[in-house]
Amino acid sequence: MSETPALKTEELLTRALAGDAAAFAMLVRAQQRSVYSLALRMLSDRQKAEDLAQEVFLQLHRNLASVESGEHLQFWLRKVTVNRSIDRLRREPRFEALPLEAADSVACEAQDADPLLLRRLNSLMKQLPAAPRAVVLLRYQEDLDPTQIARILSMSVNTVKSHLKRSLSLLRERLGETARSST
Amino acid sequence: MSNDLEDSLRAALRPVDPGEKFTAGVMARIADESRRTMRAPRPHTTALRWTSVALAVSLVIGILVARELQLRRTQRGLEARAELLQALKLTGEKLDIAYRVVNDEEHAEFTKDSGV
Repeated sequence: MSETPALKTEELLTRALAGDAAAFAMLVRAQQRSVYSLALRMLSDRQKAEDLAQEVFLQLHRNLASVESGEHLQFWLRKVTVNRSIDRLRREPRFEALPLEAADSVACEAQDADPLLLRRLNSLMKQLPAAPRAVVLLRYQEDLDPTQIARILSMSVNTVKSHLKRSLSLLRERLGETARSST
Repeated sequence: MSNDLEDSLRAALRPVDPGEKFTAGVMARIADESRRTMRAPRPHTTALRWTSVALAVSLVIGILVARELQLRRTQRGLEARAELLQALKLTGEKLDIAYRVVNDEEHAEFTKDSGV
């Protein structure tokens, strides 16, 4: 997922830890897509997502000494982003109750795909509760396997698989309903 | 259908970039935080040290005063006990004298009455 090779990431980590602001900025640039996208799809609000993602990087800056490697950095960022997002959703549950039509702000401009379907999927993602939503995001946005997702979300692999299965069923069902209602 | 859905999800959930300003925003917040940390009033270590010394000295003085008061109380108690003993001794002596006087007078009267 990162555009920065692992070795370079570790070099950047070392330099950033020594106080090199430019190195830290490069780390941010390399990881911001992942962190921001996770926050955006969890919160469904660009401004809130940008704010949360920036807070995650501020927290990283304060805890840089605890990051051991490039791989650990990605694990740390995903874990902190998802946990912070879930916390915010719990504190402000109105985020979960956005109307489906508000999907425009989250849809991505993927090429070679039906834009209406992608928009609909992004919209349906908001109907998932926070934990299953995080599981689906880590699986299909971050391309992680259930074991890695389980570690990030501190849940069992079986729970992750169960969330995935139920979420896919729900999404498939809702997509079918949409298709039926549009014909 | 499942694979189609998963492929569609991957496409729909493709990561999006927050834009060039994002990194600048993060770095600005870090700089701001560093400035605030530097400006935050640091605890006055000298004042803290003197406060600790003053507290320690007060504690020692308190202990010494308490000990002195205890000594004085004990001393006063001992003095009072000695005075009491002295008073008892004097009283005993006076009673003894009085007894002897009375006893001698009675003895003299008895001797005179009996004509011995």
